[in-house]
Amino acid sequence: MSRLSDSQEREKIHSYLKTLGKYLSRLEVYESEEVLREIESHIFDAIDLKEVKGEPVDIDSILSGFGPPRQLAEQYVSHILHGTPPPPGFSALEVVKRGASKGLYWATAGFGYGVGAALILLAFAKLLAPQHVGVWSSANGNSIVIAIVNNPLQQGEDVLGMWLVPVAVIAGFLILRLTYSILRVFRGA
Amino acid sequence: MANEKDLESKWDVQLRKGTLDLVVLAALNGRTLYGLELLQLLHKFETTRITEGTLYPLLDRLKRDGLVTAQWRQEGETRPRKYYALTELGSNKLSAVSRRWQQAVSDINHLLAHPGPAPLNDEE
Repeated sequence: MSRLSDSQEREKIHSYLKTLGKYLSRLEVYESEEVLREIESHIFDAIDLKEVKGEPVDIDSILSGFGPPRQLAEQYVSHILHGTPPPPGFSALEVVKRGASKGLYWATAGFGYGVGAALILLAFAKLLAPQHVGVWSSANGNSIVIAIVNNPLQQGEDVLGMWLVPVAVIAGFLILRLTYSILRVFRGA
Repeated sequence: MANEKDLESKWDVQLRKGTLDLVVLAALNGRTLYGLELLQLLHKFETTRITEGTLYPLLDRLKRDGLVTAQWRQEGETRPRKYYALTELGSNKLSAVSRRWQQAVSDINHLLAHPGPAPLNDEE
């Protein structure tokens, strides 16, 4: 390990692993950490072995066995890009997910789970306070209001009545399920 | 001579592509090895010398396919290492693939041992 006191050599290893980590970002965090840990362990084992044998340690030569970081990472993530077929009807997302950023992932999760949960809560609210929760149609059907109010809207007609409960539960569940499926495709699971 | 070496090298690459799973499963048969040990073992043979960049992603795939297990272990003062071993599924696959390999070797040897123009008799 004495050779590694050379900061240039340490820097080469650090830089290689850092670049590799960047290209492994499509994997789950724990997966990419596991890959990096194993490769780092191999590099240090290989250095130790050279030193035990009394051979010169050439970091570049050890790293070249792994190939360029991008090429190595591609082999680890190829099953995500090519190996897992998307669920039926989701083939277009296969293309989208390659460019999907973390922001898009979390925005989809927040919106999808938020709307789904809100619809299910709406159904519960309708059960608890049927007079104050509903879907009102006003302006001759040109406007729809979904609301939880103290005073029911007098000018409109409660379109669904108690049917709101099953409709909102089913719609909420479907949206939660759809969001889950879309996120799985994004993750490549 | 250079041409012959070149041909041999290309042939080795093609052969390795098709037999790499078999080679790694066979190397892990009855052994629990970490990456560097496995690599050193494969480097003892002329036609199974692969690089780190080939071995580790392959082990990752075999693990995902349930053919090998991987476990971090620390022995004594050494740093933790990830040890690989065959699963039951891996053993079964090794048995099946090695049977096909033996069959292929036998078939090819038979063809090599019986050049034309004499007809190739099945009963030979």
